[in-house]
Amino acid sequence: MVGVMKRIMAILALACSMIPVTVHAQESLPQMTISSAPRAQPIAVSALKDLGGDAGHEVSATFGKVLTRDLTLSSFFRIIDPSSYIEDAQNSGFDIGQFNFSDWTSLGADYLVKGSVTRDGDKIAIEALLFDVPQQRRMMGKKFTGDPHDVGEMARRFADAILLAATGKRGPFDSKLAFVSTRGDRFKEIYTSWLDGGTLFRVTDNPTINLFPNFNHSGSHLIYLSYKSYSPELYVVDLERQLETRINPGLGQAVGGALTPDGQIIGAFQRGGRTNLYLLTPSGAVTHQLTDSGPINVSPSVCPDGGEFVFTSDRSGTPQIYTESLDGGEAHRVTYKGSYNTAPSFSPDCKHIAYESREPGGFQIYVIGVDGSGAEQLTQSGSNEAPSWSPDGRYIAFSSNRGGGTRIYLMRARDGYVIAPLTEGQGNDSNPAWSWWMGG
Amino acid sequence: MTRIQRGRGGWVVEVGGLTRVAGIALVIVGLVLGGCSSKQKNAGAGAGGPGNGVGENGLGGAGGSSLAGLQHGTVGANGPLSDIHFGYNDATIQPQDNEVLKSNADYLSKNATVRVQIEGHCDDRGSEEYNIALGARRAQAAKDYLSTLGISGDRMSTISYGKELPLCTEETDDCWAQNRRDHFVVSQ
Repeated sequence: MVGVMKRIMAILALACSMIPVTVHAQESLPQMTISSAPRAQPIAVSALKDLGGDAGHEVSATFGKVLTRDLTLSSFFRIIDPSSYIEDAQNSGFDIGQFNFSDWTSLGADYLVKGSVTRDGDKIAIEALLFDVPQQRRMMGKKFTGDPHDVGEMARRFADAILLAATGKRGPFDSKLAFVSTRGDRFKEIYTSWLDGGTLFRVTDNPTINLFPNFNHSGSHLIYLSYKSYSPELYVVDLERQLETRINPGLGQAVGGALTPDGQIIGAFQRGGRTNLYLLTPSGAVTHQLTDSGPINVSPSVCPDGGEFVFTSDRSGTPQIYTESLDGGEAHRVTYKGSYNTAPSFSPDCKHIAYESREPGGFQIYVIGVDGSGAEQLTQSGSNEAPSWSPDGRYIAFSSNRGGGTRIYLMRARDGYVIAPLTEGQGNDSNPAWSWWMGG
Repeated sequence: MTRIQRGRGGWVVEVGGLTRVAGIALVIVGLVLGGCSSKQKNAGAGAGGPGNGVGENGLGGAGGSSLAGLQHGTVGANGPLSDIHFGYNDATIQPQDNEVLKSNADYLSKNATVRVQIEGHCDDRGSEEYNIALGARRAQAAKDYLSTLGISGDRMSTISYGKELPLCTEETDDCWAQNRRDHFVVSQ
């Protein structure tokens, strides 16, 4: 085998020396139907001025496509149709004093994105600027450098910066979603993609059942439950090094798990019909037992500050939501209303918990204060499950059958306004888990 | 049609301290497709080929289990033992199933070399994770009952599939009741 590999490497070296390789800056995004939110502010996203190397405007098109998708998903902005733009970006300047604001005020733009691109082989530099059109003022600018594969991520980071400049709070688009899908006529497999659908990546490949993906803080690792050994077990994948560790602490059969911000594991294991939560080291050694009452303790979700976690327990006779310190100790009951509350997710500021509650006709998503106050129902249509909070706290991803089949949707956490389905519906999509910002 | 990103070098699977390379074919394909670029973040090349993945299991590793049934499209195929059923969000053996369990115990007594795996299943209402724990309670309830009827625990194992392997998928009381079950899989 080693000999074969050496020959292949030799052939590759030869091939590489003969064929010039052009790396395209394209990033495909899935179709997504996003209707503009009420009171969304009009923004124009102009093409990037080519300062050399992007004559075909490939980099500009990719940057604009991803930025447009993300700004629309934010629900703060609606994009003014580029076909109506008066100015030609290539024949005008991109910074203050080099273009006419009147070309944009006449389109009704509140905000304007302009910028430039320089490409030298696989080295790409983008300067992107945000303008306040009514005040004719430059609000913010960013410079990005990278290779052609990085253009989509540059756009995501700029979208986050635009939300920071326009609202005072960074956007969530430099983050990923992990989810379970049956797409491609497969059984349940784990996938990751950017929030906007870019770079779909299938993590698992086995014809069994894979469930409950959950990221660590940096997004470098993912935990999930799989039946691929024909027994339910937890696995932690190092997505960067492409290594996988089976977590087998000898506590019985695995039921589910989550990663703490620093990569420790909260695992749910059942023995003799009782399921309890345990804190484990990253390699799966037991640190301590976290629960010991009630037949069932499942669905851990860790507050991003690493202090507390929230989980479901039926110790009261029905499934209800509880919080507890990662150090162990007493659990605090959060929910009392309803006879079936489960699948909790901590908000990033650790002050709220989203969960699903059984109602006549299906499940609905609620948000409640960590002290049990102010429960508010966010969803009404169809059956809605598995909420997961965005790193900026503005949004919740969840699964719903509202459109037929099960898909993942994006809604605002503050009012339950549903922005768009995030998945295409080629199969059933479930178990969304939102990462922290990938760039830190 | 969104292409699925291919990894660069296959996956190395670490199991119990041992390290082995999974899917060497993927390693070679990854080199061929990605070898000319130092970074292949968004390869998307070779659409239609295998995506990358962890743990390539073939079909049929679990005998007559309901998971094998999923793979072969035969979930619900019956062996010599009969299913028992449960109330919603409940793991208590119901009176009408006492006779079923006694009959299952008789079979196991008469066939002393047979082993049984008890599968706990749930209807599709509620979170997946809670239902896996609930299915485990259901499987354990049957195991405990068979133990009291004299079947050795050594011959019995349990597994929960939660709500993942339903017998039927309609949103009706009848269908939900069918899915809330323990299924008994025998092997020699």
